[in-house]
Amino acid sequence: MGKEESFTGIIKENEGVIFKITTIYTQNEQDQKDLYQEIVYQLWKSFDTFRNESKISTWMYRVALNTAINQLNKSKKHSNTTGIDQVVLKQTENYDTEFENRLKIVYQHIHQLNILEKGLILLLLEGKKYQEISEITGLSETNVGTRISRIKQKLKSRILKN
Amino acid sequence: MDLEEIQTIWSEMSDQLEQQKKLTNELIMKMTQDRYSNKFDKITFYETIGAVICFLAAIYFLVNINKLDTWYLLACGIFTIAFLILLPVVTLGLLGKMKRMNIVKNSFKETIVGYTKAKNQLLLIQRVGIYLSFVLMFTCLPVFSKIMKNKDLFLQSKIWLIYLPIMAIFLFFFSRWGYKCYKNITNSAENILKELEV
Repeated sequence: MGKEESFTGIIKENEGVIFKITTIYTQNEQDQKDLYQEIVYQLWKSFDTFRNESKISTWMYRVALNTAINQLNKSKKHSNTTGIDQVVLKQTENYDTEFENRLKIVYQHIHQLNILEKGLILLLLEGKKYQEISEITGLSETNVGTRISRIKQKLKSRILKN
Repeated sequence: MDLEEIQTIWSEMSDQLEQQKKLTNELIMKMTQDRYSNKFDKITFYETIGAVICFLAAIYFLVNINKLDTWYLLACGIFTIAFLILLPVVTLGLLGKMKRMNIVKNSFKETIVGYTKAKNQLLLIQRVGIYLSFVLMFTCLPVFSKIMKNKDLFLQSKIWLIYLPIMAIFLFFFSRWGYKCYKNITNSAENILKELEV
């Protein structure tokens, strides 16, 4: 299998993951499209250096989350995002209104967290084990556990307030 | 809504996203190619344009520095030249530092620490820049006037009577706004750094 073929295969398999990361780290559609494209570009750029040293998902989350942080400062300078509109804008076209409203509330709660907490909660919701979260984030497993229980507390109190 | 419900909604959304794959091979490769060709103008365009204007002005002042024939005009000239060269160099250097972060090798924690530190430094430079630019307003006008029209503005008190109060009003409001913005952003950044470096 050629490089392009295996790369596009991995991206297609994980397009939902990229979409979710871009949603929690951006505030508007334009920034989301921009970040989506930047993540795909950074993954392509680093595809050669990724030689199965870690799991595909570990590499992917690490690059995508790091790109999201690096992109935070550049949100006002939009570049050309041709082609991506048809992908990002239509991700939610099949949702029913009630589900979409509930999803909005979930995103509202996540958006209130800080940049580190957003990453941790995303990995937790994605069903990652503490060990893999630790590999992606560089925090120790114990630290991951402590932080996640703090985030849960934080979310719980915010949910109760609302 | 409780945490279990959040988890359920997230899983449901993930399942739906899984079913509606939108990307094609062509689109993925187009995204990477578009991005590659956009890369250079996107990253440093505005910063570079600003720096070039500052450098050109600094060169102009440097070439004409011999026209500044009093100690105070010379002092104003030196400050103006230093400001026009140093501030863009430091800002571009810090932006470069942020861009050089290794996205593949660094962990999420290292990226956040690196990003937050660089951002804090950049904000500090911008804040210093805001205050110094008021001094620049004070120094560049006499320098310009001397070089272009051979007039020593320090000997013309009328201009200062109008110019200084306007500058003072601007300085008051602008620096208050700048300080507020800076404080809010750096406070939250400092909290993350403290948390991560424990």
